[in-house]
Amino acid sequence: MIKTKRTLRFNIVEKSIVQNKNFLYTIVSYSIIFVIFVNLISLRSPLIGLMTSVIYSMINSVFLGNAFFGRENAFFRLIFGVLLLIMLLGFVGWLIMTIYNLDVIRFTLVLIITTTLSSMSNRRMKHKNAAY
Amino acid sequence: MPPINQGSAKLLHISEILYLSFIVLSFCLLIASRTGEAHTVWQVLHPAFIPTLFVTTFLLLTILFASEKTTHKLLFIIAHSVLLHSLFSIIFPGGDLSGQQMVLGSTRRVFDNTFPLGLSKLPTSAIPVFIFEMLKGTNLQAALTTIFARMLSIDILYVHLFYIPVLWGVFVPIASFLTTKAIGGSEKVSVLSSLLVSAFPYTIYFGAISVPNSLGFIFSFYSLYFMLKYLSSNDSKTAYCIAVFSFFSFLSHYLTGVMSFSLLLLALSFKAYASEKGSSVTAKISLMVSFLFSASLLPISFIYLGFFGPYAKSVFTLDKLYELPLEEIVGLSLLGELIYSFDLKTIFLLTVGPVLAFLYMIYQLYSLKRNPTAKLRANVYFLFAAFLIVLIDYRILKLFMSGLPLNEERLWVFQDFIAAQFAILAIYAVFVSLETFLKAKYLPFKTLVSLKTLSKGNVLCVLSLLLASNILIPALLGGWITFSLSVAYPQVAPLQTTWYELKTVKYIDENTAEKYVVIGDVWTVFAGERFVGIHNPRAYYFGEYDKTGYDLFFNMTQNPSPQWMLLAMNYSNTTVAYFIVTQSRLGAEGFQNVVARAIQNKQLSVVIVPQVPFEKLYVFSYRKG
Repeated sequence: MIKTKRTLRFNIVEKSIVQNKNFLYTIVSYSIIFVIFVNLISLRSPLIGLMTSVIYSMINSVFLGNAFFGRENAFFRLIFGVLLLIMLLGFVGWLIMTIYNLDVIRFTLVLIITTTLSSMSNRRMKHKNAAY
Repeated sequence: MPPINQGSAKLLHISEILYLSFIVLSFCLLIASRTGEAHTVWQVLHPAFIPTLFVTTFLLLTILFASEKTTHKLLFIIAHSVLLHSLFSIIFPGGDLSGQQMVLGSTRRVFDNTFPLGLSKLPTSAIPVFIFEMLKGTNLQAALTTIFARMLSIDILYVHLFYIPVLWGVFVPIASFLTTKAIGGSEKVSVLSSLLVSAFPYTIYFGAISVPNSLGFIFSFYSLYFMLKYLSSNDSKTAYCIAVFSFFSFLSHYLTGVMSFSLLLLALSFKAYASEKGSSVTAKISLMVSFLFSASLLPISFIYLGFFGPYAKSVFTLDKLYELPLEEIVGLSLLGELIYSFDLKTIFLLTVGPVLAFLYMIYQLYSLKRNPTAKLRANVYFLFAAFLIVLIDYRILKLFMSGLPLNEERLWVFQDFIAAQFAILAIYAVFVSLETFLKAKYLPFKTLVSLKTLSKGNVLCVLSLLLASNILIPALLGGWITFSLSVAYPQVAPLQTTWYELKTVKYIDENTAEKYVVIGDVWTVFAGERFVGIHNPRAYYFGEYDKTGYDLFFNMTQNPSPQWMLLAMNYSNTTVAYFIVTQSRLGAEGFQNVVARAIQNKQLSVVIVPQVPFEKLYVFSYRKG
């Protein structure tokens, strides 16, 4: 019973993120980036860093997992989403680093680009599914 | 998943709680083993760790054999896997003294924004060199670890140390699970394979060190899974997935990238072959040609690597065949590097999995030959071909090439990734045969009470089969995984970076306002690059293989005088120079001689590093002007 409730709760959260009504979760993700940026330049708290990173990763992993592995079950969708997020962060970071460097400003840019791409992929796939 | 009764469910929950407690205990024992001065993990590992790990693994196996949700089982395996790969990172304060501290040295530069690359610095005359530099695996890893460290707002040292153990611990078991499913393994076998992948010493080792090659292995394992998926489906999206994962594998490390692309070519050929209705001679020949091409891609690519810079001068050669005695050549082609100074236990642990897998593959191929319409037939054939490519490539690199930029044994990780699936399929086949035999012969005697009606011999038979299937197999697998650790983590190693070396380089960095250079042995360089990186213009440490740095250190030990320090300052454009000597590296006599001579020279000042005793380490400084 408890397990079913837990699974349901995750499914509700996931569904809500995927639906992304009025870009709510995209905006949350941008706000999280702002908090990460502020934390990095002034507070330097690992606790804030951990919390914001978890939320950021969760939102964007769900976006990516649903966009590219929508047919897998929830667990594998999340796992693939996390892996894709790592790859996307790595690729954008690598590109920016080789073009110039990866200081705090450009690091923030990496997060913004990643969120934008994840959100766009999710939206595109949602429209595609709606069309069918 | 079959329904389970309340009693079994209760037992399962108890096992799960026990398992989690043992996992926590194992991590605590690792933390208790943490040391600042040791050669290997075995010198300092808590004596209770190995027994605890064995019990933990045994408990995990009992959970895996029970009727629990697959996702829960995978989560338990992930916790176990992270534990197995964290020994270096938890026990040694600076991680293992291997390639990973060099990677950290260049990553630190990215983190501190003193990275020398960037398109603005593109040397137009050396575009191939620039391409090579840009595609070097350290770049992707540096970018990723820097991003994680900034997100979490912690120092890059900690992110670097735990980055591969965690990623490997999470993603490799999942990839193994998916791959086994893709070759027709049941849910239970696939879950077991995700645990068994940790029974291969090379996979444990590469999952424990944060080097680009390890990251590349993770991506290539996923690319292998998508290849199998591509062979058994017509989904075009899968082809993109292979391409993306192979590209990331290449971006992470050259070896894994080339290997992924050669397997990709093979997968395409298999697909083309399968799509032809009748298997014509031409189709068979083209499949054979593509197999040969895929097998030769890696060795040939090493030759062309030289085009991109002076990093590798690999050549094909028959020298080894001419120079080595016949028995050594035979030994190398059969067991590879294992013939040199490895004991029987190590050889057994490193070969038992692949040999078991190879035999089962042959058995499966034989079975499939009689069943040409079998589903997933192409997948088994493909994995067998991939396994052969790894075997062939290893032998080519080992016997017919020289000047390679890496050691050939790294290919064994690919071999282990493929072998894990077939090894567990073989073990499970034995388990199932035992169970079937038991059921067929003693089906009416389901309870122990009903055993009373059987003869003594039959009771013994039932009990021994029950023991074998429920206790012996989990105990054997648990023992195998635990035992593999002793081979995976080296038994002999140089002294790892010590706490006083780390403290000293940190103290120097925190208390020097000017630009400075450090003259020290290679161990000091390793310690330094953990905090300030390599060739940092603000805090200059010579590279690990820098001849100038080595010469300066040698001259300082022979004749400690400011002239060498001035030379170092002029070379690195700095104003302060430090000279570090360590007793454990130079030996007691050498250390005392150097220190006595340096103290006699009044121009050098002794730096007092708080909490670091002079019996262990001395720092001398000299300021320009």
